[in-house]
Amino acid sequence: MKRIVHLILISLGILVFIIPSASAQDTYKIGAAFALSGSIAVYGEGFKKAVDLAVEEINTAGGIKGKRIEIVYEDNKSTPKDCVTAVRKLIAVDKVPVIFGPAGSSNFMAAAPVAQESKVVMLSAQGAAPGLTKSGEYIFRVFPSDVLQGKGISDLCIRLGYKEVPIMYVNNDWGLGLKNVFVENFRKAGGKVTDEIPYDEGKTDYRTELIRATKGNPPATVNLTYIKEGAVMFKQVYEMGLKTQWICGSAAKAPKLVELAGKTVEGIIGTYPVFSQETKEYKAFRTVWKRKYSDEKIPIFGEYNYDMVHITAKAIEKGGYTSDGIRKALFEVAKSYRGVTGDKTFDQDRGVGSEYGVWTIQDGQIVDYKK
Amino acid sequence: MEYLLQSILNGILAGCIYALFAMGLTLIYGVLNFVNFAHGELIMWGAYFLYLLMEKPIGLPLFFAFIPALLLTMILGLGTDRFVFRPLRQANRLTLLIASLGVSFLLRNGAQFFWGAEIRTYGFEIKRGMRFWGVSITSNQVAIIIASLVCIILLYLLFYRSRLGKSMRAVSDSLELARVVGIDSKRAIQLTWIIASLLAGLGGILLALDTNLQPGMGLINLVKAFAATLLGGVGNLWGALLGGIVIGLAENLGVLMISPGYKDAIAFGIMVFMLLIRPSVLFGKQE
Repeated sequence: MKRIVHLILISLGILVFIIPSASAQDTYKIGAAFALSGSIAVYGEGFKKAVDLAVEEINTAGGIKGKRIEIVYEDNKSTPKDCVTAVRKLIAVDKVPVIFGPAGSSNFMAAAPVAQESKVVMLSAQGAAPGLTKSGEYIFRVFPSDVLQGKGISDLCIRLGYKEVPIMYVNNDWGLGLKNVFVENFRKAGGKVTDEIPYDEGKTDYRTELIRATKGNPPATVNLTYIKEGAVMFKQVYEMGLKTQWICGSAAKAPKLVELAGKTVEGIIGTYPVFSQETKEYKAFRTVWKRKYSDEKIPIFGEYNYDMVHITAKAIEKGGYTSDGIRKALFEVAKSYRGVTGDKTFDQDRGVGSEYGVWTIQDGQIVDYKK
Repeated sequence: MEYLLQSILNGILAGCIYALFAMGLTLIYGVLNFVNFAHGELIMWGAYFLYLLMEKPIGLPLFFAFIPALLLTMILGLGTDRFVFRPLRQANRLTLLIASLGVSFLLRNGAQFFWGAEIRTYGFEIKRGMRFWGVSITSNQVAIIIASLVCIILLYLLFYRSRLGKSMRAVSDSLELARVVGIDSKRAIQLTWIIASLLAGLGGILLALDTNLQPGMGLINLVKAFAATLLGGVGNLWGALLGGIVIGLAENLGVLMISPGYKDAIAFGIMVFMLLIRPSVLFGKQE
């Protein structure tokens, strides 16, 4: 027994010596507080792949001024509390000047003040809540705000002739923020919201919420859902034979949803920030993705994560490896930067704009909705 | 009217799931006198064992994979007892409580290590439910209700109509006294773990068949099961069933009246209330 303990201690000792020497001062470390476990880990795993791809590309092309980029991943366990812990660890222990923040607006907004106070740049590649970057000048997002999407969903309902709809939403900062923008725009456009149904993340049973939402057989129901909750819900909708046109947001537009819920999601529609898939940037991205991950589908928001890494690398190159340098350089490098997801110029709120399109699921494929 | 009936059915369904979990929880508590927080992970592993046996490279059909999956869950349950709880048999309840929390983390992260954190399904075709009087129910949900009723009847017979059950109850009353009168307490405890693990495995599989698999699936339902246990009286089998169904109904009927955002608050409210009037439950009987 004693011998085994010694053996373990010695191997640990060797590890401690080996790891720093391999990646000592020759790298630029970037923190990433990602959801690698917990309720929204289904997003985190895809983001990590997209980030790894971009990092590999930059490093193969010679890194930043000869130095390699290294991502320090920290699991945020999908909860606001652990997001704060993860970001604190990245700042205090790894001493990174820039962090890729957590997915999920509530999680991001919990961690953002920590980064702001420590004057460390934090970026989001999927946070959509309108107030996401309000913590301060160190907080950026390369993803469009839901102020635009909420209007997009409202316009879509009106255009399709749905004047009275109930709305279901995930009960967190993202769901609530988007719901508020939707309700405001929808009322202005002459629509009527018949019921508002918030629901919790990560449940296995949404039957009664669904029944309440579809009470009185509304022709259409808005459901601002994530992948996992959506998969559970649409399965239960199908089993109970509820008939209504489901209208979702961008967070549900994922191949994973189709994989999990199968034919039950057939025909649902939703809005999403669009970028052209015909640009040379997008085509190049698709090629490198295929090369690294072969036939795997590009995960939801993977493109935004990929762009975020490239913009950050450019900012480090231009502004130097300090948080203030990066913060100032971000505006300059992103100005008219054409990424995979289009124009990434930051506005005064350190966010980006976008067009909105409509998606639907047809024969198990996510396609553009035409009507 | 249909609307109300369907909600009642949903409540009963949720309640049966809670009850299946609560029975295992209450059994361990009754005999060993501690709250096993790792019970939720036994539930989850039960579901994942079935997944393991049904996926490549093994690829058994559900019918053949079901029993082996339950057996594997049982072995896991016995394993946690052998390596964690048995060495702590004489320890105080707080130690056991914390040890069970540790086991819970270990098992949850273990599942995540092998299968990742993403959600999975068994990949069965999703079928429309059958309709009776405007209320829809799937064959799987019928199985859930029948399984919980059958389990409770079998358990009742075991406990009150067999020698073995009697010895388990004796151990539950007092481990030392049972030993003094010559009851094989080791065997009684082992049997308790076997039954609790089988219940967990069965509940986990039924829940996963009805919804999805994910490493956190046991944990989110365990809190409700715990509330059911408290409501029904700790160590009381019928209480576990009744407690589960009351909480299931309270949640689902409550959602019709108040904002569904407060759905969890109902179960937690009941739990907090029960703990306030009987705080001894969490840390064992006061002597």
